[in-house]
Amino acid sequence: MANSLLVLVVMTMLGLWFSSIRIESVWQQTGLTTFSLGFTLLLAYASAQVVSVVRLPLISGCIFAGIIAGPFITGFLGQGMVERLRLVDDLALSFIALGAGGHLHLQDLRSRGRAIALNIGLLTVVVFGAVFGFIVLTAQNFLFLRVLTWTQIIAFASLIAVIAVARSPSSAIAIISECRATGLFTETVLGVTVAMDVIIIILFSLVMTCIKTMLPANGTGDFLTLIAIFLETMTSLGVGLVLGKGISLYIRKVGHDLPLFLLFFAFGIAKGSLWLDHFMETQFGVSLHLEPLLVCMSAGFVVQNLSGEGLSFMNSLERISLPIYVLFFSLAGASLDLVALKMTWPFAASLVLVRSTAIFGATWTAGALNRDPPRINRIAWMAYVTQAGVAIGLAQLAERHFPDIGVYLTTVVLAVIAINQVVGPITFKMVLNMVGESRYPKTSA
Amino acid sequence: MKIAFALLIIFFLAFSGYHLTFRNIRLPLFARQFYLTGSEFLFLGLLLGPLFLNLLDLETQKYLDPLRALLLGWIGLLFGSQFEVSKLRRFPRVYFSSAVLEGILVLIIVSLAAYFMILPFSHTSSTIGVVMALTLGATAACTSHGGLALVGKDSGSQFGKLFTLLRYLSGIDGILPLLVFGFSSSLLTASFSSFSLISVLTKGFLMILGSSLGLVIILVLFLSERRRENELALIVFGATLLASGMAFMVKMSPLLINFIIGTSIVNLSREKERIYEVLIAMEKPAYLLILVFLGAIWRFDSAWIFVLAAVYCLVRLLAKLFAGFLITVSSTDMTQYPYHLGLGLLHQGGLPLAMLLEFQQGFPPPMSSWIVSLVLIAVLYNDILGPLFVRRLLKKNRA
Repeated sequence: MANSLLVLVVMTMLGLWFSSIRIESVWQQTGLTTFSLGFTLLLAYASAQVVSVVRLPLISGCIFAGIIAGPFITGFLGQGMVERLRLVDDLALSFIALGAGGHLHLQDLRSRGRAIALNIGLLTVVVFGAVFGFIVLTAQNFLFLRVLTWTQIIAFASLIAVIAVARSPSSAIAIISECRATGLFTETVLGVTVAMDVIIIILFSLVMTCIKTMLPANGTGDFLTLIAIFLETMTSLGVGLVLGKGISLYIRKVGHDLPLFLLFFAFGIAKGSLWLDHFMETQFGVSLHLEPLLVCMSAGFVVQNLSGEGLSFMNSLERISLPIYVLFFSLAGASLDLVALKMTWPFAASLVLVRSTAIFGATWTAGALNRDPPRINRIAWMAYVTQAGVAIGLAQLAERHFPDIGVYLTTVVLAVIAINQVVGPITFKMVLNMVGESRYPKTSA
Repeated sequence: MKIAFALLIIFFLAFSGYHLTFRNIRLPLFARQFYLTGSEFLFLGLLLGPLFLNLLDLETQKYLDPLRALLLGWIGLLFGSQFEVSKLRRFPRVYFSSAVLEGILVLIIVSLAAYFMILPFSHTSSTIGVVMALTLGATAACTSHGGLALVGKDSGSQFGKLFTLLRYLSGIDGILPLLVFGFSSSLLTASFSSFSLISVLTKGFLMILGSSLGLVIILVLFLSERRRENELALIVFGATLLASGMAFMVKMSPLLINFIIGTSIVNLSREKERIYEVLIAMEKPAYLLILVFLGAIWRFDSAWIFVLAAVYCLVRLLAKLFAGFLITVSSTDMTQYPYHLGLGLLHQGGLPLAMLLEFQQGFPPPMSSWIVSLVLIAVLYNDILGPLFVRRLLKKNRA
């Protein structure tokens, strides 16, 4: 702890010294990018060590470090630098998705199938309904919503409500890995979070289609889009299945440098799917968008459940996950839009409260219907608060389609995520400790 | 997309390549030597570069600069981690002075020769000429274990003390050339119109000292308690990036700063063995990636480059022979070694290539192109012929 604090002091001094240097050449610009990468890694790691003393999760330390180093507080990591380091995101997300798939055990999923289905159904309906209802009923109380027409408010409420259903698989995986959590509760949360990632895309497309019918100035709805999304989802899962078999073959036949191979694989999927999308569009006029997260999740699931190589696969992921998590979450922290939060904090705070209450209601009901222990039903909501990348992506997509309401939408979503991404990991780690499924002694309660 | 694709390709080449290369496969003599040193990756780089496939074009290379900075830092740390005082003390002191003497003599001879014989062809200013000459001298002075490893992998013991001495010299003789190169690169990036040599060097020295000290403190603090393997990797990886970034920002050599940090850590931290394991795990892929990057900037604008490379190799050979001879007569302890000791010190290996990559990064083409091409041809020549000379030397002086 004392050493980590000293590291933070020395790093702050180095950071101050180096941020005063004028960048005049390409040589120095390279240095700045490289320095920022190293600085972010070490600063976030040291912060994670400091916050671990008060039993906060590693990713909270990284997020705090990112917020402090980011463009809105010290500005050490400027907006441009955060954008430049975005390359890490694609790699990290695919890598985390591999882990998500690997964490799913078919046997446990079968035994918890009813609980997972109940949670998914209720979380979707209750959270959507509560957030939608809240916005429609209170719209006149918030200044920025008064300028919108009723139709626009309904469209706005639908989009925010659907985005509120989204969770953050990356945060969930990172915390589960950190706590080395295993058990029925962990398995259920993971199953729900991962499945939600697929469902949210379909749900969002459905809502977009309805809104296009409501707001004809923004184009017309097309149910073929839904079929296309369904097909793309199935194709992604299928490709993941084949690649998962490929990974298990590699482990069995080659075996060496597995962590590096998986890193290479994750990056290849992230970039390869983009390339394929572009290639199909330009060469054949066909839009075939493979979802890299689904491909990687499916591949991880196959290696874990349909081959005998699950253990070495997960061990290898574990060996290189730390730098990836640290970098990814500190950049996520640096990307949190504090200006948006400042502008809309009363509305955002209310939304967070409504969403959390709705999550509580949904998980409590699901638990009760599944006859889970009441003690767990009361605290299960804490595992579903986190929100991150997917929600931002959806908001940005909506902004492009509905520019009239899109600016407000993105601002509010960014503000809500800023709160949920700080609070969510903390509550998630707490609940894992409370249900007794956290296995990491250093951090367990 | 192209950047990501290029990154994927070169990573694939490096990480799949290091399992396939460096293996003793049945091939004709020169082809085997070529293959064993990984030199084929230079040609893969050339193929991927602007001359052929153009996948690693100048723009893409610019985007991949942080990776190159990381590679330079990694090599610097690795080289620095060899200077563990307690290990160096296991050998006679005269070995160390001999290594330093050998390195500095070759550096001086080749630099002078380059300044007066080769650089007149480059039409550059005298200051840039000095830096270029020092770079050529420094790359020439370094020796790698590679040649010895190829010859005496299984039978090093039968060659006795000579083998040990050659191993020692080739591990250590790069120290002064690296220091000189590191400081000269600060001259390279300084404003040539209005600089005073003393002030630039003093400022550079203070910058290097300050930033290295800061990083050593950070590392010592981090390593004061036992870390898990993945935490250790994160710390080493982060520190290398930080140090290389700092070096570039203050217009210094990332190789030098990381060398200082590596030397400090290996002598200060209890975790030195584990750190070394982290570093060595990436050594071969890092070396291959450097070869790919250098191959991509390789140019053959004129046939003269082959003539210049031949002159450079000849001067280097003579300098090594002279330095080797001087070592053997400079001390009574060294008279037992053959006077043509320099023949065993021709293999150039990774450090000069890293210097070359750093030189190219601070001194972009076309001005640096011919130096890069010249040294690459020389490295190829020395890497192929070096082991043959070593074998000949060792067989003649079998223990």
